Parts: sequence; C-alpha cells; structure tokens
Amino acid sequence: MNDSGSLLQVNDVSKVYGTGHTAVTALDQATMSVDQGEFVALLGPSGSGKTTLISIVGGLLAATSGTVTLGDIEVTALSRKDLTRFRAERVGFVFQSANLVPFLTARENLLYVATLVKTPKKAAQQRADQLLEELGLADRAKNLPEQLSGGERQRVAIGRALMNDPDLVLVDEPTASLDTALGRQVVQLLRREIKDRGKTGIMVTHDLRMVEYTDRVFEILDGHLTHVESPSTLGH
Amino acid sequence: MGLAGAEIRRAKLRFGLLTGAVSLLIFLVLLLSTLSSALVGALVGALEGLNADGIVYADFARDNIAASRMDPSVVTSIASVDGVVAASAVATFTTAANLTGAQADVQVFGFSPNAPGAPQGLSDGRLPTTAGEIAIDGGGATIGDVITLDPAGTSLTVVGLLRGAQFNALPTMYTTLDTYAEAFALTNPGLPFVPINAVAFDVADGADASAVAQRISSEIPDVTGYALDEAVALIPGIESISQSFGILVGLTFVIGIVVIGFFFLILTVQKLRPFTLLRAIGTSTPRLAATVASQIVLVVLIASLIAVGLTLAAVQGLNTGLPVTVQPSLILGVVVSVLIFSLLAGALSIRRIARIDPASAVGAR
Ligand SMILES: Nc1ncnc2c1ncn2[C@@H]1O[C@H](COP(=O)(O)OP(=O)(O)OP(=O)(O)O)[C@@H](O)[C@H]1O
Ligand SMILES: [Mg+2]
Repeated sequence: MNDSGSLLQVNDVSKVYGTGHTAVTALDQATMSVDQGEFVALLGPSGSGKTTLISIVGGLLAATSGTVTLGDIEVTALSRKDLTRFRAERVGFVFQSANLVPFLTARENLLYVATLVKTPKKAAQQRADQLLEELGLADRAKNLPEQLSGGERQRVAIGRALMNDPDLVLVDEPTASLDTALGRQVVQLLRREIKDRGKTGIMVTHDLRMVEYTDRVFEILDGHLTHVESPSTLGH
Repeated sequence: MGLAGAEIRRAKLRFGLLTGAVSLLIFLVLLLSTLSSALVGALVGALEGLNADGIVYADFARDNIAASRMDPSVVTSIASVDGVVAASAVATFTTAANLTGAQADVQVFGFSPNAPGAPQGLSDGRLPTTAGEIAIDGGGATIGDVITLDPAGTSLTVVGLLRGAQFNALPTMYTTLDTYAEAFALTNPGLPFVPINAVAFDVADGADASAVAQRISSEIPDVTGYALDEAVALIPGIESISQSFGILVGLTFVIGIVVIGFFFLILTVQKLRPFTLLRAIGTSTPRLAATVASQIVLVVLIASLIAVGLTLAAVQGLNTGLPVTVQPSLILGVVVSVLIFSLLAGALSIRRIARIDPASAVGAR
C-alpha cells in the first residue's frame, strides 16, 4: 500500500501529446486516490482527457510526468514488457467499442485472457461459465461477437475484464453505443460485479444518469481533474 | 486454446482460398522447373551423363557431336597425349526403330564397356557388355524387350534402363561399338569404314581436364578437346535454352514468393484492430508473433502437400513424351524457400505488430 492507504494513487500526472506548436496538454497535474472496493465515475465533456487518464492508470499510456501507484506497484515506473504483464494480471479493461476478439466466441474471449496469466484450464472454464451465467449470457457462450447485440457484447467485455480477478477495473464509456435502458442495465451489472467481488472500479462517462450507480465522482475539464463531493451536487 | 487455430476455424473460407492460392503458386514453380529440367536433360543428358572427364570433336563439327566425324585411329593418338589416362571412341547416329509396336526415331550410341564414354544413370538392369545388348532411356521399353532397328534390321535386347541419358529429346539406346558399327554399316551401305563422332577421355584423379583438353587440341591436328562440362555448355543452342528456362522458372519463383509474401502481410494488416485489442489486454508481442508465424507455417505446409500432389498428378497425366521425374531435392528446395520467404514476409508484419500502440485500443471507435 502507498502512503495514503488508498489502493490507487494518482499524483500530479500530466500528459502532453506531441511537441512544439502542435503540443496538446491533455492532462494537467491530475491527482486522485481511490480506495479498495470503491466504484467511482470520471465525468467530463468530450476531449477533456478522460480516456487519457484511465489509459495512464491502466498502464496503456506513458505519462509525461507524475506517478501512478496501484497497491505496491509503481505503474509509471514499469518497463514496456512489465506493463504488458501488469495489464494482463492487474487490470480489467472495458473499452467503448471494438472490445472483443472477433474470431473468438464469448466464452473463448473470457478463456483467452486466462491463458495470459496461466490459469489452469479447469479453473478458467469454471470461472468463465460462472461469469457468463451471472451476466445473463449462459446461452450466448458459443456465439461470436458479430452474433451478439451491443449490450451483450458489453456484458461479455465486463466478464472478460473480471476474468483474471484484477485489482482494478477500468471502463471507458460502456454505454455510449447503447440506449438508456440497456445502458442502465449494463452499468448496474457492472456495479454489482465490482461490488460483489470487492474490486476497485473507474468508469468514464459523460452521461450524468449513470452517476447514481457510483460511490464518488471525479470531474475533468480541459485536463484539470477535480473531485466532486457527491453526485447530487452536480450542477449540470 | 490457440488464437491461430481459432481464427482459422472461424475463417475457413479465407484460409482455404489462401492455401489454395499458395498451393497453385508452388505447383506452378514445381511443374515449370520439373518440365524444363526434363527438357534440357532430354536434349543433352547423354553428353552430361557421359562417364568421362572430357571429349574431343573434329574441328569442323563446331562443337556439335552429331556433326563430328573422326577416323577411329585418332583414339590412340589422343590416348598418348600427356595427361590422358584413357581414351575411347564414342559414336552416334539417328535411325528408326520398332519401339513397343510403333516405328519411332531413336538415337543410338556406341561405346566401349569399362572405358571412357559409357553412359551413366542406370535405373534398372545393367549396361550392355556383349553384342546385341542395349541399355535405353525412353520409348517405353522394359528389360527383355527386343528392339529392331530400321532399315538395318539389327535386333537388340534391352538389358538396362537409363534415366537422364537422352539426346535430342529422342529415346536413346547405348550399345557396344561392335554392334553399333554393324548397325551403322547396314544403315549406310558402301562406306569404307564406320566413322566415330568423338573421343571420350579420362584424366588422372585431380588433374585439370580443361588443360589436358587444350593440350589435345594443340598437339593433334584437326581436333578440338573440351572438358565435359565445357562441351555440354557449348552444345549449339543449349545455353540459350537453359537460360530462357532459368529466367522463366526464376521469375515464376520470385513472383510466386512475392505474391505469397503479400498474402501474409495482408492477412496481418487486416487484423491490426484485434491485435491492438489483444496487446491492450496484456498479450505480449512475441505471443502475437508466434500466432502469425504458426499460421504461415501451417498454410505453407498444407499448400506444399497439395502442390506436390498436383505436380505428381500432372507429371503422370501430361504426356509430354519426355522422361519426367520429380526431384525430391527440388520439392524440398522450393518448399523450404517458400517457407523462409513467407516467414520473412511474416517478420515484416510482425514488425508492424511490434509497433502497435496498445493505447490506441482505448480510443478505437
Ligand atoms: N494520440 C493523441 N495525439 C494527440 N492528441 C491526442 C491524442 N489522444 C488524445 N489527444 C487529445 O487529448 C485531449 C484529450 O483526449 P481524450 O481522448 O483523453 O479525451 P476524452 O475525454 O476521452 O474525450 P471523449 O469523451 O471524446 O472520448 C483531446 O484534446 C485530444 O484531441
Ligand atoms: Mg474518450
């Protein structure tokens, strides 16, 4: 654990894309901490730096400055190779789209990530089947992504993100391609899975209605991250 | 669960077409090189396969054995040239023969058993040792057949079958010089003596046949000697024929390799999005590379099997009149080079994979 006792600690993280005239400061000294078991929302308009922040937190993108620690791992100090392992073992991602391997079935998408951390086959199969069951996908297990609806695909992606029992689940606009009712359903499921398993989750969204399912809200505007005390104080 | 296998199962048509296309390209290369080496072999095999270090023609023959005429007495003069350890007459003419029931042109060679100028490439039986025996390449003859020359009427018994010993792409038979002389005289009545066409000679082990051949040319009037490989290269027209075939086969091979390489490059580039996702969720670059490489190896091996099958079937089915044999070394060489070049193309795509920025999976729309 780091000094603050939080699971995730983001300290003064900045990200500048490009150099010279074309340099864009996507993230300006962002600082946040998230406790074990918390499910927080990251809210902000398009282009404000949400994706940039969770990419850095999840070890997908290098920060220009600042540090990120997850438990006792200093993510910002890992080599490229160690980052690949870190992503496989410690992080579960749900991306906005293009989330699943198109030539693997729903169940195989889950089983595949288990091979990255060398989970025994039997155990992986049990876990995949259990997750699919919980996500209401038991009868879609053998379908390819192209044979699934958008909501089903996002649910498979949630199962995939949880498959390796990660410390941190990062979700980027899970509802962007879904209608409101389906979006709610997916976020509810996500919350339940994260809470039941005692995971820590960050969900990027620009949909205020999804905020009610989270414990705390961070808001980001032009790369400046602020902590909003509770969702109800949001004056949008 | 292998990514490579799963993808092939889910995209059977795409991989089927790819395998089919690759196998056709390999087939084309195999068939072309088999046929061209068969043709070149049939044209000059007799000379190439001559069991001798060098050969001597009459000057006026201009390096063409069929046009060369020599007095048999020249053999002793050549044998006495410094560096020559043995010399023997080689004679040849074209005549007709009754081959497996049909009249056909044949090439007849006369040689001395156990002397320079005997044929090589025995595939069955033995070389002739006494009068009335022949070894033959082509014409569908089998051991024990009796072949009658026309118009000489000489009957010859097949005692050996040869491979790669044809001349002028004709069925070619080898007999002792006595039998040859008898048949030649009967075919060309009234000649004072039976001419020989060339003299084959051997040099001491390790000696330079080319230098000895030059000595023969300078010491003996009206003859020109060559080391055997020089003589083969000088056969009129053969150089341009084999060069043309070389270009044809080489070009087919290069085009085939490039096309196959592109196939595999496209195959990878098509998958950059799923590969980016796989990198983002923690797949290492070496593991993706192994996926690509294993698919290439699988496709090339299956395609090679199909191509070899097609080539064997084509060689059986196409009646070119040439003694065509598919060389295992050719198959191996082509398959191994296709594999190597495909993996090189794969390596290019793996370089592309290594450059994938996993972060781009997040923003992917
Ligand atoms: N690879 C990149 N190169 C240059 N600029 C980039 C790159 N990625 C993002 N940016 C810029 O950084 C800023 C923040 O981008 P980011 O994707 O983090 O925004 P976001 O909050 O996720 O937006 P959205 O809600 O539209 O997904 C934007 O101005 C964007 O144009
Ligand atoms: Mg974004």
